[in-house]
Amino acid sequence: MRTTPRTRAVSDTALFLGPAIVLLAIFFVAPILVNIVVAFTDMSQTLDFKDFPTTKQFNKLGKLDDEALLGIELRRSFYKALMLTLVFVVLTLGIFNLTFALILGLTTTALPDRMGAFFRAVWLLPRMSPSVVYALLWLWVVDSTERGLFNQILMAVGFEPMNLRLDHPMAVIVVANGLIGASLGMIIFTSAIRSIPEHLFHAARADGAGPFSIIRHVILPALRWPISYITIYQALALLVSFEYIFLIMGPARSTMTMAMLSYTKTLAPQIGGGQYAYGAAIAMILIVIGILVALAMWRLTNMKALLQRPRIEVR
Amino acid sequence: MAEIELRNLSKAWDASVAVDGIDLTLADGEFAAILGPSGCGKSTTLFMLSGVYTPTGGEIRFDGAVVNDVEPRDRNVGIVFQSYALYPNMSVLQNILFPLRFKQVDDADKRAREMAELVQITPLLDRRPSQLSGGQQQRVALARALVKRPNLLLLDEPLSNLDATLRLTMRAEIRRIVTELGVTTILVTHDQLEATTMADRVICMNAGRIEQTGSAEDLYLRPDTLFVAGFIGSPPMNLLAVDPSAAGLRLDVDGPVTLGLRPELLRAAETGVPATVSHVEPMGRETLYTAQSELGQVRFLEPTARPNWAFGDMLKLAFDPADTLLFAPDGQRVPDAHATWKDLAHA
Repeated sequence: MRTTPRTRAVSDTALFLGPAIVLLAIFFVAPILVNIVVAFTDMSQTLDFKDFPTTKQFNKLGKLDDEALLGIELRRSFYKALMLTLVFVVLTLGIFNLTFALILGLTTTALPDRMGAFFRAVWLLPRMSPSVVYALLWLWVVDSTERGLFNQILMAVGFEPMNLRLDHPMAVIVVANGLIGASLGMIIFTSAIRSIPEHLFHAARADGAGPFSIIRHVILPALRWPISYITIYQALALLVSFEYIFLIMGPARSTMTMAMLSYTKTLAPQIGGGQYAYGAAIAMILIVIGILVALAMWRLTNMKALLQRPRIEVR
Repeated sequence: MAEIELRNLSKAWDASVAVDGIDLTLADGEFAAILGPSGCGKSTTLFMLSGVYTPTGGEIRFDGAVVNDVEPRDRNVGIVFQSYALYPNMSVLQNILFPLRFKQVDDADKRAREMAELVQITPLLDRRPSQLSGGQQQRVALARALVKRPNLLLLDEPLSNLDATLRLTMRAEIRRIVTELGVTTILVTHDQLEATTMADRVICMNAGRIEQTGSAEDLYLRPDTLFVAGFIGSPPMNLLAVDPSAAGLRLDVDGPVTLGLRPELLRAAETGVPATVSHVEPMGRETLYTAQSELGQVRFLEPTARPNWAFGDMLKLAFDPADTLLFAPDGQRVPDAHATWKDLAHA
């Protein structure tokens, strides 16, 4: 059979885009749809449900009492989770994923090449090691006894040992997540700094700029897009991240973010899990928040322009 | 404005020597060009003058004061880069104002606008560099380099990114602006036409050393070294390794030498060196021939658009002995030494 150019174009499109569309549909779109459906049921651990559609789960969210978790009364656990998520995302993103990553990018590019590469590799190590190992190291660092690394340091300089997990739980998860998360920004910022033409630095120096003026007027403007990208990407990643929080803090109320709450309500049977529909409702709210955050940043950083055409002005 | 002096200036990276002990003095307000092939150390010299690179040996003096360890910002040097190096996130006006941020200047905006007027870019002040043509970017770069009233202006291959017509205009334009301001200027280029047309004095560099310093005419007619003889001029000078015992050739010196003779100083005549034309290149106003002669392969130029000779033609090439140059085996020209051909003596 002879093919017309039009059918040919359609079949080519299907051939090239098909696999990607199928993968997206199976692994991204379908789970979201399933999650939305489940959120409007009363599905429990046995995977069966009687009511559909029902907004029962969402009504539960705002309730004063939530006795599901180990039978302990948790007041407004959902609103608390919202606040903890906000604090966790903003602090980790602001202090580590952006600022600290930028400092790492700036310092390792200012060092001689080999030394810079060495330090970057060191910062990448935790990413390469299993999460459990990383979490175990942190547990040792923040151990409340005198054996903990942090406490050993405190005592060496004359302070009393502290129980960080109990007294500053948020700080522990922000630092633990931040130190590992900064490496992504570091890599992206490093390559962006490297791509700034060297003559711009020479010109700035000849024009009289010192190191801080060069950072402000030459480097930071060139990092506008990488910073936008890291902000959006990491904000979304942090919203749903619970791996290290769970491994280091367990189901502690003090660090029960949205993602942690959704997890404990569903997949942690020994501590009151198995409420699939309730967990799905929380997850659905996370998805909505994620979409809103992405859209807001999209507008705020003019990300559309970045994706439309090359924004690198190389001369 | 300043008098610039380089004394035994060197720059080396690990094992490789980029600049190998150069001496140079520039008078206040002089326009000099450093000319040389890629990798000869000319840009390195420029970056040492601007303070971007620190010399590994020797001294740089501005008005007698050693500035080797003076930070770029304290040297008051303006520099125009080959790629212009404009800040892409700033407007034209902000680019020009940038060097004044780091100086206590009251009338910064006025000065920037005056400079924009001088380089004729006033209508473009609100644009971004990406919205400018190559020629306009180059004017902005020039204004930015000049706005702080530098002691020394450095131009690093400023015309090499422009098309041929614009290059011609900008050559004259840069010369006009620099003369108007009377600033000491060093132009770095690999283009001999650019060097000879713009500068008062040409400094020819090769392999990190200064080969010769002089006027365009000096370098063209009286090259001190074999390198300068071969580098300056297009088509290049005929450089023939000749044996003094060769029949027909008479030399003022003993021993093997290289004979240099410009293509336009060779002409077809009744008597002279026998040669056979092997290649003809009509170049518009003139015609360039390549011929196999008894002295070796030579090029000669005739000022006619239509070729007088064709492939395979046999002819005799004559020259004025005074036009010949002789170079010793170490590459240095032997002063007042010339060559002649047996027939020419009778001619």
